[in-house]
Amino acid sequence: MEPNYEDLSDDRELELPAEPMRINMGPSHPAMHGTIRMVLELDGETVVDLDVQPGYLHRGFEKSCERGTYNQCFPYVDRLNYVSPMLNNVGFALAVEKLCDLKVPERGQWYRMALGELARICDHLTCNSASAMELGAFTPFLWCIKARDYLWDILEQETGARLTHSFGRVGGMAKPPTDMFKESTLAVLPAIEEALAESELLLLKNRIFLDRTQGIGKLSAERAIALGVTGPLLRSTGVDYDVRKTNPYLFYKDVDFDVPVGHDGDNFDRFMCRFEEVRQSIKILRQVLDKMPTSGPVDCPDLRYVLPQKEAVYDTIEATIAHFKIVMEGLKPPKGEVYSFTEGGNGELGFYIVSDGSGTPYRVRVRPPCFFNLQAAREMLVGDMVADIVPTFGSVNMIGGECDR
Amino acid sequence: MPNFKLDGQEIPFEPGETIIRAAWKQGIEIPHYCWHPGLSTAANCRMCLVEIKAQRPMMLPILAWDEKKKDYVETTKPKLQPACQIEAAEGMEVSSKSKEVVQAQAAVQEFLLLNHPVDCPICDQAGECKLQDYWLAHQTKPKRKETEPVHKPKAVRFGETIVYDGERCIMCTRCIRFCDEVVGDHVLDMRERGNKNEICLSPGRELDHDYTLMTEHVCPVGALTSKDFRFKARVWFLKSAPSVCGGCATGCNSYVDYDPRYQRVERLRPRDNADVNKFWMCDAGMLSYHRFHQDRLVTGRVRSGGGVAEVSRAEAIAAAASALKASKKLAVVLSAQHSTEDNFVLLKVARDLLGASKIYLGALDPAKTGWQGDEILRHADNNPNRAGAVAVAGGPLEGTAALAKAAAAGEVDAVLSLGFAAEVDAEALAPLSRLPHVNLATHGGPLAQVASVVVPVATIAEASGTFVNAKGIAQPFQKAVQAPAGITAAWQAMTELAAKLGHEVAMKKLPDVRAAMPALPAPAGA
Repeated sequence: MEPNYEDLSDDRELELPAEPMRINMGPSHPAMHGTIRMVLELDGETVVDLDVQPGYLHRGFEKSCERGTYNQCFPYVDRLNYVSPMLNNVGFALAVEKLCDLKVPERGQWYRMALGELARICDHLTCNSASAMELGAFTPFLWCIKARDYLWDILEQETGARLTHSFGRVGGMAKPPTDMFKESTLAVLPAIEEALAESELLLLKNRIFLDRTQGIGKLSAERAIALGVTGPLLRSTGVDYDVRKTNPYLFYKDVDFDVPVGHDGDNFDRFMCRFEEVRQSIKILRQVLDKMPTSGPVDCPDLRYVLPQKEAVYDTIEATIAHFKIVMEGLKPPKGEVYSFTEGGNGELGFYIVSDGSGTPYRVRVRPPCFFNLQAAREMLVGDMVADIVPTFGSVNMIGGECDR
Repeated sequence: MPNFKLDGQEIPFEPGETIIRAAWKQGIEIPHYCWHPGLSTAANCRMCLVEIKAQRPMMLPILAWDEKKKDYVETTKPKLQPACQIEAAEGMEVSSKSKEVVQAQAAVQEFLLLNHPVDCPICDQAGECKLQDYWLAHQTKPKRKETEPVHKPKAVRFGETIVYDGERCIMCTRCIRFCDEVVGDHVLDMRERGNKNEICLSPGRELDHDYTLMTEHVCPVGALTSKDFRFKARVWFLKSAPSVCGGCATGCNSYVDYDPRYQRVERLRPRDNADVNKFWMCDAGMLSYHRFHQDRLVTGRVRSGGGVAEVSRAEAIAAAASALKASKKLAVVLSAQHSTEDNFVLLKVARDLLGASKIYLGALDPAKTGWQGDEILRHADNNPNRAGAVAVAGGPLEGTAALAKAAAAGEVDAVLSLGFAAEVDAEALAPLSRLPHVNLATHGGPLAQVASVVVPVATIAEASGTFVNAKGIAQPFQKAVQAPAGITAAWQAMTELAAKLGHEVAMKKLPDVRAAMPALPAPAGA
């Protein structure tokens, strides 16, 4: 048996290596979600330096979008931030609509907001509870994921798919809301609130959790802005930048909600920001459901861009031609370029699209929020311990599909 | 040249030219259905209405809906003019995009679709239909009419080649005018009026002249469809390669429309060339694509003992090399059916490397193949490249009958021939069957029947090349589909054959061949 260091006499030197040790964390590491590699330089257990290397999940998203029609991009954008695909769907649809100068009817806009906020809740619940789980707190994870499942049930009821909905369309949504949408959403919101409250009860007095979150992974507001960090990561540093407030889209200017901010920019603030945002999303959802008309069109009636009703396709030649043109050639936005941005799960989700007037995008570029957020990971972690990497990286909420595209 | 202004752009025109034609020459399309650059003006579709700006414009009194008063009020609007009928004049200002014009285009489009059947899913024109294109460009509104559409005869047989659908027809009369003006055969006309209007055949007649398929091509909608192409392919799956028709010595410019998924040619259609075929092609030419896939030679053939064995292409080339190895008095047969490049390389290898001195020409005999020329497009000679083969040889050539005579007289000890065509039948070529005889051919024919070795080669759809037509215009054509089973162009097969015989030919790619070839007359209208 090796002797304990305490048992050794004081005059004996510890034989610890003096050189910093370089080790890999990932890409196949359970805490490196979505395959990412970190090359760590360690002095004992202290992180001296680390090099974050994304790219293992690169799928050629942008290039893929340049092959099909605009509506065929939706399954691709689903797989950007796959924790909140509906936010990507809406973001991309808004970008193309800006290009086409289309305005979605009121009901469609409320519907998009409702689905988007549901997705945001899913995103934050997943991020926070998984971070807690990685610190050994398995119970909040199970509770939050159970709550998320209720939301997925609603999304499944609305879209037919639990995860990758492919539900957005240029000029509207694939389907109007179901009859029980309002009722079922209102029914599960208390369960979400309960999961939040109970998870907080379990975590916020937990020594292990607090030690790995408070004062760990700190980022200053100046550095965050310099690095282009957005979303909860930026707000935790005290900057109240939320696209829904600063550049309101859809009907966000007509709903009442707050933008929670932190002050230390550490893991704990990020955790608290996310849970508070879930509460704000619930607040938004209640208002949206109240204001959303129960009848009326969801899709813009412009036949140049939006598929006509199926009955009309069968009955009239004009609708048949419209259907043919949109399906076979794709909708054709006017020539030009556009940048449109929304508040995604992780921050500012931007789409830059260039149209050459044909049915296929000439260029699609996405500004993935967590690609920028990930840049901050090095600064957040240098000087902390190895064990801090996991909760800090968790709170960055890097989503491989979005970061690597 | 005088100019007029169209939507602010200066357009030059020749005196007497219409607005639409002058714009068309500049590559600007004013939307139209009934106007066709090769036909007379009918001005019946009203799609090409434009506004001609004048100091004192002609104004029409109209009733317009007033949203504020919720009633129709009397007002005026400028009288629009058909661009296909109004002659351009110096300094004229024309607008094809003004508010009234846009309104008129949408109204005309709506009118044309009033009784149109919901046929796109089963219509061969879908994908290249002007009704679809112009609906998107100029109307984009759903149907307002709620009553049952007028029904008319559908799937009416107009003849061997064409089927007519009265419901899809927009009565532009392009088909009638084509038959009248280009073919000179008043076989089509129009009967009834208004909603009952339809295209009909002359009593006791069928649409049976030599240019019936052109009526389908001038039809801007799916009213006339070709029986040959009906329900065979969807046009959005097809790709086009610019080509030249191999049907006769006119060398009509064509597009080879092929399906890249199956590497299959689905149709030929005319390609505009003012110097050769204008906008037209004949039925026989357009149907000649069937030969690209029918009765093709896809394997080599070697005669041994009493029978003929099918062998691979590589084995056929090896057998060809051994057949020609010992020849001292080689005769070579060029082909009026093959590209100039094929003929050039064949002759170069045979004459310069193998020492051939006797040159003949294999060509179809129009009389024996039932081919008749006319004054429109069909040339009396149904060989597309007689002029090219003659140009390569540097002088007039004797036919294969003369070769048979020379072979019978013992002046020839081996034959290298190109193509399936010969002006005589296999019986007349019998003396050749006693000699080592290599034939490079796309299809079986008299020469292949008497050959000891047959090497399969590519058709004009499968390899690029050049035809020289009867007028002496050299016209390049492009490869469309991949030849089956590793088959290459005849000139490439010749370089392989030469290599087997120990001669290296420096030409590896088509540009090498074209660089080595003597200059041909410049391609026209390309």
